[in-house]
Amino acid sequence: MIVKTKRYQGLFILFLVILFITLVLNVSIGSVRIPFLETCRILAGHLTDSVQGAIIWKIRLPRVLSTLFCGGYLAVGGLLLQVFFRNPIVGPFILGISSGATLMVALVMLAGLSIGIIGIHPFFLSLAAFSGALAVMVVILLVASRVKNVITLLIIGLMTGYVCHAVTSILIAFAEKEKVKGFVLWQMGSFSGFSWQEFYLVVLLGMPLLIGTYLMSKQLNAFLLGEDYAKSMGVNIKVFRFLIVIFSSALAGLVTAFAGPVAFIGLAVPHMARLTFGTSDNKLLVPAVILFGAIVTALCDLVARTMFSPVELPISAITSFIGAPIVIGLLLKRRVAI
Amino acid sequence: MTGPNVVTGPIKVMETRGLAVGYGTRTVVADINQEMLKGQLVCLLGPNGSGKTTILRSLARLLAPLQGAIYLDNRLLNDLTSHELARSLAVVLTGHMSPGLVTAFDFVAMGRYPHTGFLGRLSEHDIEKIRESLHLVNATTIADRYFNELSDGEKQKVLVARALAQEPEVIILDEPTVHLDLKHRLELMAILSDFCRKKDITVIISLHDVDLALKLAETVVLVKDGAIMAWGPPDRILNEETVARLYDLDCARFDRKLGTIELISGSHDKTAFVVAGGGTGTPVYRLLAKGGFGIVTGVIHENDIDFYISRSVGATVIGAKPFQDVRDRTRLAAMAALEKADLVIDAGFPVGPANRCNVELLLNALGQGRRILTLREREDAVDLFGPAAEKLVYCKDLQKDITV
Repeated sequence: MIVKTKRYQGLFILFLVILFITLVLNVSIGSVRIPFLETCRILAGHLTDSVQGAIIWKIRLPRVLSTLFCGGYLAVGGLLLQVFFRNPIVGPFILGISSGATLMVALVMLAGLSIGIIGIHPFFLSLAAFSGALAVMVVILLVASRVKNVITLLIIGLMTGYVCHAVTSILIAFAEKEKVKGFVLWQMGSFSGFSWQEFYLVVLLGMPLLIGTYLMSKQLNAFLLGEDYAKSMGVNIKVFRFLIVIFSSALAGLVTAFAGPVAFIGLAVPHMARLTFGTSDNKLLVPAVILFGAIVTALCDLVARTMFSPVELPISAITSFIGAPIVIGLLLKRRVAI
Repeated sequence: MTGPNVVTGPIKVMETRGLAVGYGTRTVVADINQEMLKGQLVCLLGPNGSGKTTILRSLARLLAPLQGAIYLDNRLLNDLTSHELARSLAVVLTGHMSPGLVTAFDFVAMGRYPHTGFLGRLSEHDIEKIRESLHLVNATTIADRYFNELSDGEKQKVLVARALAQEPEVIILDEPTVHLDLKHRLELMAILSDFCRKKDITVIISLHDVDLALKLAETVVLVKDGAIMAWGPPDRILNEETVARLYDLDCARFDRKLGTIELISGSHDKTAFVVAGGGTGTPVYRLLAKGGFGIVTGVIHENDIDFYISRSVGATVIGAKPFQDVRDRTRLAAMAALEKADLVIDAGFPVGPANRCNVELLLNALGQGRRILTLREREDAVDLFGPAAEKLVYCKDLQKDITV
C-alpha cells in the first residue's frame, strides 16, 4: 500500500514536470523561434515590451494555457463517460455533443449569411457551438430520465448525432463553395483562436466542472462494478446519471465551442492514464487524466503548428496520428483488459 | 423495544407479505409470504427461469415489487434510504464482471462505500475490515492481484468479501456457485455457512445443488411455476417426491438420506442381478445405469448404503429388515430374480452372519452353471466359495466386461 502511494506520488511529480516543460516548449517554438532561456526570462519577468515578449504574452501563452485546460476537459469528459457506460471505446462526443455543436455552427456559417448577418464574429460562432451542444444535452437528459438502461441511452446519443450530421450535410450540399471551405476548416478543430478573454472564460466555466468531477470519484468507483452494485451500495442512480451527462456534455461542449471538435483526446487519454498508473481508481485517475489530457493536447497542438509551418495542420489529425498507436501499444503490452 | 426480561425467539430479519415479483405487467412469482431469521442460511431452489433471480432482485430492492411489501428489520424496504439499505443489505450478483484495473483489495474496498465519507477515503478501521473480509474468504494471498486476472473461483470469493466488507445484516447471492469447480463450490458454501454462524448474518442464496442445500441451509424455498412450492427446513421439505416435482425429474431420482441425485436407468434390453452390500454395489449400480442396464439387486439390508443408492437409480431391490436374518421368502424371491437376469455380478460384498444367504445365492447360481462376474480377489473368493470359486469370472475392468 505504502509502496504504491509512493509510486503514485512519483508519477504525479514526473508528469507535473513534463507538463511544465510542455508549456515552455509550446511558448518558445513557433514560426518565430525564441530561445529557451529567453522564453523563461520573458515568462518569469512578465516582459511584454519587446516583439518576442508580445508574441509570447499576447499570442502564445493564452493559446498554450487554453490548450492545456481544454485538453484536461476533453479527457475528463471521456473518463466520465467510459466509467458510466462501462465501455472503453466511448468518448465525450458519443452522446452527439459535437454533432449538435457542428449543426449550430453550420447553421450560422452556411445558412447564416443568407439571412442577413454579414461577417461572423468568432465569439458568435463559439456561442452557436455551445448552444448546439447544450441543446443536444437537454434532449439526452430528457431521455435519460425515462430510460432504464445505459446502453439505450448510448444508442439514443448516437442516433441524435446521426440526425444532426444529416442536417449538417444537407446544409453543406446547398451552401456556397467558399463558405463550405471555412466550415470544413472549423470542423477540423484548432486552438488558434484563443486570446486571454477566451481563456478566462474557459477556465471560469470549466473549473467547477473539473472540481465537481473529482468530488464524484467515490460514486464513479462504485460504478466500476456496474449499475446494480452501485445501487446496492447506496449510489442514487438517477441523480448520478443526470450529473454525468451534464458534466461530460458541458466539458465537451465548452471545448468544442472555442476549438471545434477535437477528436481522440477524450477517448484515448483515459486509457493512457489508466495503463500508466495501473489503476482504475478514479480518485487517482481524475487528476491523472487532467494532467495527461493537458500534456497530450498541448504536444499535439505544438506539432500541428510547427510541422509544416506556416501551414497549420488540423489538430484532430495530429491527435489521432499520435494517440492511436500509443493506445494500441499500451493495450498490447498489458495482459489485463480494460 | 424488548426489555431485559423478555425472552426473544429467533429474530426476524426480513419478511414478505403478499409479495408478487416480476417485470412490468408480467408476474413471475406471486403470493410470497415468508420470513427470514437472523443468522439463517436461506436457500432458493428451483429450475431455470422459475423466478429465483427475480425474487432475489426484489428482496435487494433492485427491482420494484409488483404487489405486497417487503420488510427489513420491521421497516418497509421502500422507506429505507439507499444509505440505510446499503448498510444492512449487500448483494453478490451473477453475470460477467469487468471492473478494469482494480486489484482484489480495491475491489473489496468498494464494499466500504456506505461507511466512508464524501470522498471515500479509507480509514484505518476500513482497511482493517477489508483485510478481515479477505481473510474470511481465504483470499489474503490474492489481495494485490488484478481482479480481471483471477480465476472464476477466486473472483467469486472476492465478490463475497466485498459484500462482507459492507458489514450487512443480510447478504443476497444469486447463484454464486454456478461456474465453480467442486472444491471452490464447497469452500464458498462453507464460508457462507460460517458467516451465518459466526457473524450472525442472514444469507439468502439461490443454488442449483440440492445436495448442498440439504446439508447447509436452515431453510429451503422451492420455487416452481410462478409460486412458492414449499418453504421450510430442508430435511422436512426435500424428499424424493418434492425434488422430482420441482425439477420435473423423470430420468433421475433424489435420495433424501444421502442427498444425492442418481440417474434412473431408462428402458433397457438387458437386466443385471447384483449381489451387493456394504457399499460395494454403489459403483456397480452407477456403471450399470450408465450402460443402460435394468438393475435388480439383493439381498440388501434396509440400513445399507447400497439400499438407498440402488433405489435412487431405479433398481428393483430385494431388501431385508435391518440387522435381522434374511427370511426364506426373500431368499426365494432373490433366487427367482437372479434366474431371470441376463448378467449376474458379485460386487464383492463383505460377508457376516446376517447376509450369509448371499453367498448361498451365488453358490446356487454357480451350481446351475451361471456365468458370474466377480469383483473379488481370487483368494478371497476361494475362502468364501471353496472349489466353486474356479468357475467365477474375475473382473479387472467391469465396464469392459459388462459390455461383452
